[in-house]
Amino acid sequence: MSKMLEISGLSSYYGGICALNDVSLYINEGEITSIIGSNGAGKSTLMRTVAGDKKIDSGTVLFNGSPLPESVDRVVSGGISLVPEGRRIFSSLTVRENLILGTCSRRDYKQAMADTLDEVLELFPKLRERYHQPGGTLSGGEQQMLAIGRALMARPKLLCLDEPSLGLAPIIIDEVFDKIIQLNEERGLTVLLVEQNAFLALDVAHRAYVLNTGRITLEGTGTELAENPNVQAEYLGVKTGE
Amino acid sequence: MIQILQQLVTSVSVGGLYALLAVGYALIYSVFDFTKLAFGGIMMVSAFAGYFATKLGVPTAAAMLVASAAGVLISVAVELLAYRPMRKRNANRLFLMISAMGVNIFITNLFLCLFGANLRALPTGFSSNTIALGPLRIGVVDLLSLIVSVVALVLLTFFLYRTRAGVTVRASALDMSTAGLMGIDVNRVSLIVFAISGITAAIAGMFFGMKYNVYPAMGSISNKAFIASVIGGLGSLKGAVIGGFLLGILEIMVTAYISATYRDLVSFAVMMIVLIFLPNGLFGMGDQNKL
Ligand SMILES: Nc1ncnc2c1ncn2[C@@H]1O[C@H](COP(=O)(O)OP(=O)(O)OP(=O)(O)O)[C@@H](O)[C@H]1O
Ligand SMILES: [Mg+2]
Repeated sequence: MSKMLEISGLSSYYGGICALNDVSLYINEGEITSIIGSNGAGKSTLMRTVAGDKKIDSGTVLFNGSPLPESVDRVVSGGISLVPEGRRIFSSLTVRENLILGTCSRRDYKQAMADTLDEVLELFPKLRERYHQPGGTLSGGEQQMLAIGRALMARPKLLCLDEPSLGLAPIIIDEVFDKIIQLNEERGLTVLLVEQNAFLALDVAHRAYVLNTGRITLEGTGTELAENPNVQAEYLGVKTGE
Repeated sequence: MIQILQQLVTSVSVGGLYALLAVGYALIYSVFDFTKLAFGGIMMVSAFAGYFATKLGVPTAAAMLVASAAGVLISVAVELLAYRPMRKRNANRLFLMISAMGVNIFITNLFLCLFGANLRALPTGFSSNTIALGPLRIGVVDLLSLIVSVVALVLLTFFLYRTRAGVTVRASALDMSTAGLMGIDVNRVSLIVFAISGITAAIAGMFFGMKYNVYPAMGSISNKAFIASVIGGLGSLKGAVIGGFLLGILEIMVTAYISATYRDLVSFAVMMIVLIFLPNGLFGMGDQNKL
């Protein structure tokens, strides 16, 4: 199995504050890789670095064997799209316009608005119903679908999802995660998923990591981590014996 | 009654020019959160370019294109030389504004040294012609300026709302960093908005040149447009257009029925009063009013 993304010795700072400390991890092509960790662990920082939105202070990030480009727009056109934490929909732009923005990194955008748009609307039929409505009038779940759809319009090789379950009702969360699994199984999309909801994240993951205050402390398959007593105690709310 | 109508026609045409300039302020403010106070200088340089072209025998319509090209060039040059390096270093917005003021004073004084302070009439050949519309006599320049500004505003709206590039500009105005995440090249967006504001400044400069004269200090007219965009709500396209027309009407009416001496006094007073009751101007609140 080939490694699509390989991070070694990555450190990242905000001013003097260290947010990521010597992080190394890899993502296999065609798999869902999850990163779990509590508030402030550095999950979003890691995602923003992978998406080219935060400068690499030290260490290397290789995407399909080559170093990550310096500017965000070239990372996006290179095939990495981020669905940011909190969705960040353009609320006064219509669903259609939000989706158009997803194609900005593509040269073949005419093609994109024909083929990819159909694929996205098929995956998220709700977006078709709301096509000409401002993004801000959508429900939280619909906005998450729109954020994912917008990222898919760029036709990424690696889709990065930063806390897609944030602020959603359980039933909607299930729906969102079903779509993520569907994207991975049916289209072979490689996914990097970051979640505070560790139960869900480990359930869908082929491989997973635990990020603890800027350091990777554990790695393994989703099942391995879900059965790890430390993970159970810290992240899954399972009471250990006694 | 006829006299009021006559004044109204003049004021609407001045309002159109204020609206054009104010839209330039709105574009830059909504994308970059700073007020570019160098519009006056850019407007003046464009008018000079149009003036020299006309002197060389270029027809007025083509001189307008020359002026627009000059407006685009200088507006983009100022962005590349003055503002972009500051943004790269995360300069405070206030200092960007101060830099813009510096650019304006620099350009004005440069032209003062080069060409002197004297007034130059734009030799169009039709500047004093009028058209009779029933009992009304409308200046050809007034009519042309109104038509051109309305067409320019319609084209701009079409660009922002109906084209791909326009959507990227609006997205950048709403949330620059998320726009970047979409793979939008923010530097390209900046070139687009500075080029557009260069064109609107040039059109306004040419018409003010025809109505009044071309001279290095003519850029101070753009302060009025700034008031218009503040009254309408900084960063709002709709606000800039409405503010521009309102201010044009207000000024001409004050000039006609009170005195030209009180014109600026009333304009600034209205701005202060509007801001007391509507601190964000008429349309300056919330994302849905941006651009
Ligand atoms: N823009 C910023 N400026 C300064 N410090 C920041 C910034 N963003 C994050 N940090 C700090 O970096 C650390 C990691 O933050 P990050 O947002 O990556 O964590 P996270 O795991 O995504 O947290 P959450 O679960 O709350 O989203 C935190 O200590 C945070 O305070
Ligand atoms: Mg986060």
